Amino acid sequence: MEAAANLRREGVPAMRIDRIGLLLIGAALVATTGCATGEEWATWRGHSSHFASGSHMGFSVRNREGTQARVTRQDIQVARDQNWWGKPITVSQEQILER
Amino acid sequence: MSGKGTLAAALAACLLLAASAWAAPSEDRILALDQYTTDKGRRLATAHGRALRALNAEIYHCMPWVEVQKSSIGFFRPKHIASDSRYLSVRIYVEQDPSPAFAALRVEERASAMFSRYVGALLRRMNEDAALAGDPALDGYTVILEWLKQMPRAQGERPVHETIAVFVDKALALEYLGRRRSITDVAAHAKVRGFDGEAGLGDLRLAAWDDNFVSTYKVANYQVEAGVTCR
Repeated sequence: MEAAANLRREGVPAMRIDRIGLLLIGAALVATTGCATGEEWATWRGHSSHFASGSHMGFSVRNREGTQARVTRQDIQVARDQNWWGKPITVSQEQILER
Repeated sequence: MSGKGTLAAALAACLLLAASAWAAPSEDRILALDQYTTDKGRRLATAHGRALRALNAEIYHCMPWVEVQKSSIGFFRPKHIASDSRYLSVRIYVEQDPSPAFAALRVEERASAMFSRYVGALLRRMNEDAALAGDPALDGYTVILEWLKQMPRAQGERPVHETIAVFVDKALALEYLGRRRSITDVAAHAKVRGFDGEAGLGDLRLAAWDDNFVSTYKVANYQVEAGVTCR
């Protein structure tokens, strides 16, 4: 019984550390997703570019209710990467400029 | 510090590192020093490295709807100039949805619209460092703009980009920046080469106008990183 009690006592600080670790990992996940839900990302991906006319780029990531909507530079890069249409046919830099 | 404490500290440090990495543009947009083929280009890049990084950062943070191409910021020699003239150059891809109205324009009209929207704005950003503009080794500026002309219409097809390369000699650029020339004058006197995909279209004559899009357009809900100021 005493051994079991010691084990429980020893387990308490270990669990606290585990919780800290989990909190940090959770914070990392939140940071990488920009606080957006799956549905919100679908909205985001659907509006990741803009029209030449000027009525464009409805970057409308709706963050969690009650928080200020926020789009970061990293959000834009992620959306751009996901909407990549493949390697374009375009003029090479070497056709225009010399290094 | 216990092993677990060290683990927690390491995780926290990783978070901080990740956050700082996301906040900064990639330096691979700037031509590496060892890629220059002449001493003149390398000297300019060495002397004005901070200005190149500032230009990269300002476009990254303040014009997030465009993408700077890799190794495109630097002091390049325009191919049509025989001597080793060095132009401060940048190449951007303007991301925009395909628009039937825009696609229906003639190529010169699309090019004029893009010139009007971006060339003046980029020339201003390329000249924020007075020491750079005052360096007698700098001969001019190149702004290369490309945009999507045609999306893939079938599986296996590739998107096609349209591109203009705008070459502005230093005297003309400084007159524009000093408000002694209009952007219309710059378009009339600059050399502009057009490209449809990989095919050259030759020199284009453009009619440009003032367009304040870059200074007024805001991506909805976009927040610049802390410590960054966009003008």
